[in-house]
Amino acid sequence: MRWRNSPEQWGAVARAFHWAIALFIIANIPLGLWADALPLSPTKVEAFYWHKSIGLTVLWLALLRLLWRAANPTPRLPAIMPRWERMLAHASHALLYSAMIAMPLSGWVIHSASGFPLDLYGVISVPDIVPGNLDDGAVEDGAATVHYWIFILICVLLTLHLAGAFKHHFIDRDEVLRRMLPFARASTRADTPNRSVTRAPDEGKR
Amino acid sequence: MRRASSRIAAALLVGGVSLASWGAPASQWQVVHDESTLAFTATQTGSEFDGAFEFAADMRFDRADLAASAFDVTVDITSVDTGSRRRDQALADQAWFWFEQHPEAYFRSKRIEHIAGDRYEAVADLTIKENTHEVTLPFTWEQDGDSAELQGTVTARMQGGLTMDRTRWDVGTGEWSSGDTIGREVEVRVDLRLTR
Repeated sequence: MRWRNSPEQWGAVARAFHWAIALFIIANIPLGLWADALPLSPTKVEAFYWHKSIGLTVLWLALLRLLWRAANPTPRLPAIMPRWERMLAHASHALLYSAMIAMPLSGWVIHSASGFPLDLYGVISVPDIVPGNLDDGAVEDGAATVHYWIFILICVLLTLHLAGAFKHHFIDRDEVLRRMLPFARASTRADTPNRSVTRAPDEGKR
Repeated sequence: MRRASSRIAAALLVGGVSLASWGAPASQWQVVHDESTLAFTATQTGSEFDGAFEFAADMRFDRADLAASAFDVTVDITSVDTGSRRRDQALADQAWFWFEQHPEAYFRSKRIEHIAGDRYEAVADLTIKENTHEVTLPFTWEQDGDSAELQGTVTARMQGGLTMDRTRWDVGTGEWSSGDTIGREVEVRVDLRLTR
């Protein structure tokens, strides 16, 4: 497997970003819900510590991932995809990337406003991005509302993302899902030549 | 000895007023609260955070008369400010300071000893949530001159600190007492500006 992307394939780095961030997001959603529901206890404090650590990890991974994406070709979508599917794919991916940034950022605001300390991985002291105890908790409450609605958005986007991936794999029977799998072979399948990825008319516009 | 004799001389010279205070308790000081702090540092999930209390202090201190020197401090526990609304609210709970039952803590010195130079130690009873344990507070006392018996404002600065295990005073009971999430060691610092 190659490190960099090609017009047909995701490279190893892009796949690693995808799956690392996916695992962290999927772990952090129940962790955050659970921590929020717990009564005040050491377990709750610890759960939020891990929730924050994972969230900030997603933030810097997502930023690196966007840099990597900008420095690599993006594999083309199958040429047979209708226009509305392409637009939906582009829009949902743009929103997913935005959420990957906005979700940890809003969490960071909540954390900062709460006045709690945080050392990422027990080493890196995380600075506050807003002052603590501002406006008697109004900033914290506002950021918490934003955090909640981005969570709803992420649930919708993840559902769409999975639906799209399965549609590509089981209905369209193309390479779109397969080429993002962690250990998939890098070549298109020889047994489905008609459905292999071919040059898309909008190549280079993404 | 030289100091003691000069004190006697000074007392004799100024006469009645000073003579009347001779043998009275060691000098009474007033805390300048705007320039004084009673603060602490604790840890939460491995990270430090700071807090502070408001307090009232009866400070009697005379370097030449440590036997009559004493600190009697009443801490307003409900004034605790750790820079976090949520944490300050939690500290009011029964597991922590239990504001309702124990709004005050007390530091009452039993004796004050000179170590060297500006350094002293106060051995005191520290009472929190009705648990009393003896603690030793090392501190420095810096004072601008010794001619204070006469007149004018004299200022002093007292700085000290000690590290305590909060669980000895039942601060953070039950599942909090393990110290894994909120550390058991708490570093307390006192920095007082005093006048008389």
